[in-house]
Amino acid sequence: MPVIETCRLTKRYGPVTAVDQVSLTVEAGQVVGFLGPNGAGKTTTLRMLLGLVRPDSGTATINGRSYASLPAPARHVGALFEVSGFHPGRTARNQLRIQALATEADEARINEVFALVGLTGVAGMRAGKFSLGMRQRLGLATALLGRPDVLILDEPANGLDPEGMRWLRDLLRGLAADGTAVLVSSHVLAEVAQTVDSVIIMNSGRLVAQAPIAELTARGALEDVFLGLTAANPTPSAPEALR
Amino acid sequence: MTSLVRIELLKLRTTRLVYGLLATAAGLTALFSVLEATRVGGDAPVSTAAGFGSVITGGIWSLLLAAVLGVIVSSGEFRHGTVTATYLLTPRRDRVLAAKMMAAAGAGAVYGLAGWLIATAVGLGFVAARGDAVPLSAATIARYAAGHLVAGALLAAIGVGLGSLIRSQLAGVIGVFIWAIVIESVLGSLYNSVQPYLPYTAATTLAGSTLGDAAFGPAHGAATSASPLPFAAATALLAAIAVVIAAVAARTTVRADIS
Repeated sequence: MPVIETCRLTKRYGPVTAVDQVSLTVEAGQVVGFLGPNGAGKTTTLRMLLGLVRPDSGTATINGRSYASLPAPARHVGALFEVSGFHPGRTARNQLRIQALATEADEARINEVFALVGLTGVAGMRAGKFSLGMRQRLGLATALLGRPDVLILDEPANGLDPEGMRWLRDLLRGLAADGTAVLVSSHVLAEVAQTVDSVIIMNSGRLVAQAPIAELTARGALEDVFLGLTAANPTPSAPEALR
Repeated sequence: MTSLVRIELLKLRTTRLVYGLLATAAGLTALFSVLEATRVGGDAPVSTAAGFGSVITGGIWSLLLAAVLGVIVSSGEFRHGTVTATYLLTPRRDRVLAAKMMAAAGAGAVYGLAGWLIATAVGLGFVAARGDAVPLSAATIARYAAGHLVAGALLAAIGVGLGSLIRSQLAGVIGVFIWAIVIESVLGSLYNSVQPYLPYTAATTLAGSTLGDAAFGPAHGAATSASPLPFAAATALLAAIAVVIAAVAARTTVRADIS
């Protein structure tokens, strides 16, 4: 049974169909790259999976249930969004302590996660002082705190330096090897090609490809395949444009 | 629900704003209490019940800032984009709203008590300096303490509902000040019959102010034909307003997409 599944998922914003009958699956132990041009509907799809945006039709489930109906969802699903929201006046450690109350993580786990993302030395610093890369690492720490078996990450590579990219790749591969299902959106195609098992590509709200990475790259470089599949890329859809 | 309230209380404790607002409330209370104690004279010096009551009115600044805190507790989630993380932790958004109201009410009660403590201390200090006896009974002063506590808590809870409804922190905070300082002052002086039922005015009378003492401008201290609501009625009114605003927010903006 797929861990992450959407079935004919649809979201409209006025006359614009941001997500149009998207059906996708992600299995346990897989890293799946979620690709598409800006405005393709990736973030809206991910937000529907996590109950943040209400679909107009279709279903989105994790382990067979909607996110909202999962018992202790933050312990099963770790999520990171492109614009990670942290209170600028709150320290990184206190951000995680808040998360820890919901995920029943203790101080030792908080320290462990800080070490994992390389923020141990700055855990006492206010998030407002963090660079984009540090904020991404803090977002990943938040997502990983509850030892989730599902990870949904929206552009986690944003702001990471080359060393950070490699660290992220190793982290995701390691988690998948332990059975975690990872759905990760990205624009960094070269990185995606090195990290994922399979790829889902969206364009203009529609799913245009879901295939193992090896199958896609057999047709040519991932960038060429991606651009070929998304060639008729219209203007950004409403949710992206409104953001 | 207990863990949700603990989360919200931890959020409150780990930002500087809550302490900054409390310090502002304390400073304004001290300033206005001293000004009032210095100003009162003539028929009602500080050592009379009416004069002492005017001094205690300085504590209502803490109530106003408790409402502001409530607005920030909920609308701040949108300002900083933390609402995504909040709803990921707790998809039941109505429970989040309820937890926020409870946590803010706790902080608002502390604000109210701090205002009472400072205003009462200023009043007692001025009375002692004159060598006079305290003009109010201990029971009355204790009732003012309870009033400040309840009013601070309920105004903070109302603020949370408003912030959830409006989502804009700036609009919410400005709205609270305009409502309390301008709209209620004008409405109360124009229509004495509704004056006791205006929420901020009701909160201030709960805290011990006489009707009109909390008004600003020409309406301040103006004669009124109305009487303040009894303690229980004012409490029930404010609680009902908090519940109604929260219920409207829970059925509208709280359900909206977070995109």
